[in-house]
Amino acid sequence: MLVITRKLDEAIVIGDSIEVRVLRVGRDGVRLGITAPARVPVYRREIYDQIRAANVSAAADATALDALVARLRAGGQPGEPGTGD
Amino acid sequence: MPHRTGPGVITFGDGLPGFEAFHQFVLVRSPSIDPFTLVKGIDPDAPSFLALDPLQVDEHYSAPLTAPDLARLGAEAGRPLLWLALLSASADPVTVNLRAPIVINPETMQGIQLLSAESAYPVDYPLRPV
Repeated sequence: MLVITRKLDEAIVIGDSIEVRVLRVGRDGVRLGITAPARVPVYRREIYDQIRAANVSAAADATALDALVARLRAGGQPGEPGTGD
Repeated sequence: MPHRTGPGVITFGDGLPGFEAFHQFVLVRSPSIDPFTLVKGIDPDAPSFLALDPLQVDEHYSAPLTAPDLARLGAEAGRPLLWLALLSASADPVTVNLRAPIVINPETMQGIQLLSAESAYPVDYPLRPV
């Protein structure tokens, strides 16, 4: 990991189009201003990690779809017979 | 990976968190899985997801799109977009991720997963029978 010391209102540049600037330094946090192209998504790490865990949990076995859908139609209760149709 | 496109192929330029290497997906719908949609990766190693229109879970569902979101979708404000919320079928009860829906622009066939900084919705909303 690259570690750089920055003071208030100082910035770093990543590549040729992303800037991260220190806007405020407080006792409990640092406020950063990020300038990036509109197509570059910027996420808070904890949110990204939360969604990643949810996606991994959601990845389904496409070969077992019928059983899965039957269970969902039955109200999401494992082992409960599906209503089918 | 090879950049494959074709009819019905949706490109997630940034991938999906946890599956960043996979960019191409197709949507599969059929009476046998109605009202769900299968979001299926076209790479053999890619994941698939069962998904549901979030409006079928919460009729008042609404999540804001930012200008960067629209730019990544190649979308103009006001044009129709397809929204899908991913299900976690292994959870008990089954849950649906209303926090980070998939949004697809049918005009450009570009898709994103919406990772808003703030959201009123949970990643694990319990799914009632649909």
